[in-house]
Amino acid sequence: MFDFKGNCVGGKMKKVIFCFLTAFLLFQGCSSGNKKRLSAGSVTLTLGAYTVPKEAYQKEIIPAFQKMWKERTGQTVKFEESYIASGAQSRAISSGFEADIAALSLEQDVSRLQQEGLITHDWKNRTNNGFVTRSIVIIAFRPGNPKNIKEWKDLTREDVDVIYPSPKTSGGAMWDVNAIYGAGLKVSEVETGKQDPFQARQLLKGIQRRVKTMDKSGRASVTTFENGIGDVLLTYENEALLRQKNGRDFPFLIPEATILIENPIAIVDQNVDKHGNREAANAFVDFVLTREAQRSFARYGFRPVNEEIAEEFTKEYPKPRLLFDISYLGGWERVYTELYGEDGIWTQIVRELGDEK
Amino acid sequence: MNPELNRVELIRNRRHIGEWVTLSLVLLWFFILILIPIFGIIRETFSQGLDAVKTSLATPASLHAFWLTILLTTSAVILNTLFGTILAIVLARQNFKGKLILESLLDLPFAVSPVVAGFMLIILFGSTGWIGSWFSSMNIKIIYALPGMLIATLFVTFPFVAREILPVLREFGPEQEEAASTLGASQWQTFWRITLPTIKWGLVYGVTLTIARSIGEFGAVLVVSGSIINKTQTATLRIHDQFSDFNYAGAFSAALILIVASFLLLNFIKHIYKTKGGNTS
Amino acid sequence: MKNSQNGTLTSVEIVPRCLSFFYIGLLIVLPLIAITAKAFQGGLRNLFHQITLPEGIYSLKLTFFLAIILMFINIITGTATAWVLVRYNFPLKNIMNSLIDIPFAIPTVVTGIMLVVLYGPNSVIGSIFENHGLEIIFNKPGIILALLFVTFPFVVRSVQPVLMEMDKDMEEAAQTLGASRISIFFRVILPTLLPSILTGAALSFSRALGEFGSIVIVAGNIPFKTQVASVYIYGEIESANIQGALGTAVVLLFSSFIVLVFLNLLQRWSHKHES
Repeated sequence: MFDFKGNCVGGKMKKVIFCFLTAFLLFQGCSSGNKKRLSAGSVTLTLGAYTVPKEAYQKEIIPAFQKMWKERTGQTVKFEESYIASGAQSRAISSGFEADIAALSLEQDVSRLQQEGLITHDWKNRTNNGFVTRSIVIIAFRPGNPKNIKEWKDLTREDVDVIYPSPKTSGGAMWDVNAIYGAGLKVSEVETGKQDPFQARQLLKGIQRRVKTMDKSGRASVTTFENGIGDVLLTYENEALLRQKNGRDFPFLIPEATILIENPIAIVDQNVDKHGNREAANAFVDFVLTREAQRSFARYGFRPVNEEIAEEFTKEYPKPRLLFDISYLGGWERVYTELYGEDGIWTQIVRELGDEK
Repeated sequence: MNPELNRVELIRNRRHIGEWVTLSLVLLWFFILILIPIFGIIRETFSQGLDAVKTSLATPASLHAFWLTILLTTSAVILNTLFGTILAIVLARQNFKGKLILESLLDLPFAVSPVVAGFMLIILFGSTGWIGSWFSSMNIKIIYALPGMLIATLFVTFPFVAREILPVLREFGPEQEEAASTLGASQWQTFWRITLPTIKWGLVYGVTLTIARSIGEFGAVLVVSGSIINKTQTATLRIHDQFSDFNYAGAFSAALILIVASFLLLNFIKHIYKTKGGNTS
Repeated sequence: MKNSQNGTLTSVEIVPRCLSFFYIGLLIVLPLIAITAKAFQGGLRNLFHQITLPEGIYSLKLTFFLAIILMFINIITGTATAWVLVRYNFPLKNIMNSLIDIPFAIPTVVTGIMLVVLYGPNSVIGSIFENHGLEIIFNKPGIILALLFVTFPFVVRSVQPVLMEMDKDMEEAAQTLGASRISIFFRVILPTLLPSILTGAALSFSRALGEFGSIVIVAGNIPFKTQVASVYIYGEIESANIQGALGTAVVLLFSSFIVLVFLNLLQRWSHKHES
């Protein structure tokens, strides 16, 4: 810092320092762009993923793929990875983050890339409709179940504090609210033979009323819950299983009626064409659907999309009796407006609760 | 013995009860607001033993993250000190239309939440952005690379140096400087010998605030960096990553390193200034 | 730097001025223009509609309300702390002085989690308050607490340099003339410090408006209760409602700009008044 050296640093020096710094940093920017050039024996794949599957990718799937690719082609595969929230990652890729493979939480986050022209192939035309992992929404409670939580209705009790992330700040959090609303519809359908939106709405409002805090993301809400806040946490099964795998006491129940979560994966055509690594990228997306990779995912708490492997793991992953998926609610487009739009059901509920205070 | 002087000595040395109260209240405030959280961080760091700390800090990704933070902080400090000083001098010693607007703009970066700041930079410097598309065609990356992160850091630490120096410059007007120049001192001599010593403490505090804030900056850098492991993850992003992995010990230990590093660095700066810069008038 | 004698600009003045304009232009004005332009992209009527959504309006009101409370608390505590650091001597004073800036070095996410752990409903202190019906964390006091932490250094560090440079002569003169301590403080010391206090106040006010990382963890983020503007804006960006997000952000920035102009005018007035 020139002020403290006691040197007589004149105006010219300042300009030199400034130019040097700018050049240096631009050079850094340049060089990271050039790293993508293929050298004879190696190729780099950039993975833009959401936060949740990080362990599965880092610990098992990526190493296994690197080994497989080396055996098959003799090439070394280097990975550059980013794991941030699904929506944020989708926006990053669309505004210049050169991910070759997008592995995100919501279908919409990948569709957006297609709409903006970064993905030009029909990514849903792959096996399993372009999805790589599955999970379900579950209800986590405190060890010993002191509040005696058995089903959705218990979450509306006055002595129960509920935690779940905000559907506004976390696209993935929409799964939780979708699960509640869908469960309301499903249960009413089973009981009366017809879907009752009013009952579903009542259930959602009753639970939202009990919400103590809405964290920024699914992970953040698990952290809050682990810090002792709340009696009940709505989250995804793979989150709960991951915690259990790491030795935490994280009891949860699978509600009878809950939603099936499906997570997409796709190569980003614009980037693989620019980097010239389409072959390796395609191989990776094929790889995650192989039995070996699906078993890895299953070990990390995800339900496999590969039916064969799903059979292997039926004990660990029982199927809820009244399981439904997003199509039961009319598909994502309808859900975005009907539940979360300006006059959406969830939006209205929050406003009504705001007036109540 | 001059009785007047005696009286002054007595008054000066006697501590009023009000002063004791003030001192205790301030210390209490400091304890509750600052010390307890710091102790909390220390406790959480070692809650799982020393080994957990060592393993999470020694990974290449963590070391790279610390290095990146050092690089960004140094660059941000140099640039913002330079321009901040110039800006403060311009605002304090010159008169022109729009000075009020310029000065009020100075604090605006703080009012921008980091999310919006990052978003702004992406609009400007993203691959389809106003400025970014030009750089992109030359294959120079700004966003999701180092330059973007530097700009984000510059943005959030922008006001500190200028804001610290400005009140001092205003309080101690241009009289001495003008006197010096009428006595024949050059511009540079006047700056070095008159202005700089006056703003010395303002400069020190401005720089320390800039350093502290650069080290701790999180939100805006998260948005513009993409948080690419071993490439664009600063220490704070690494900490966030660790939290996301439920590696609390790792996260808190990295935070503790940042605190200790800041503490030592800030102390070091003040020490240098005290010994090299001479004492205040 | 010399002021020009006859009203024309000397070269010595022009270069720094241009550099200042360039730097502020590139770093602040340009990004602000960018988001304003982007906010207007969907049309004026839609923008107005988005800005006036009840959630957004509430978050703006809450944010300003809390920022103003925070500012006043900081003015008092910050000045007192600076005073104690400059005028007193006590053991470990140097350590305390070095710790003042630490809140800035701590990433906001760590601050947030720390506050939940220390003062949340499951902590010793928090549960005491809960039993008396006072929620700190996940309610408004928790937000103020987080803001106090992240803005702590502002007033302290603004006042400190001025206090250190201050001449004690006037004070001592007033003392020997028999003025009481309190009147010395209010008539001699405070007017000198007022500009720097206002500077620090403006800085903490601005920061309070924009703070996100710690608040999103301690506040609860319940709309119409504890959702501040920065969290609301973030939610709208995430929900792909860019116009709504930027519209509210621009309103926030514009209003804070006005408050800052006001504080700067106040500062100038107090400065003229004192000299």
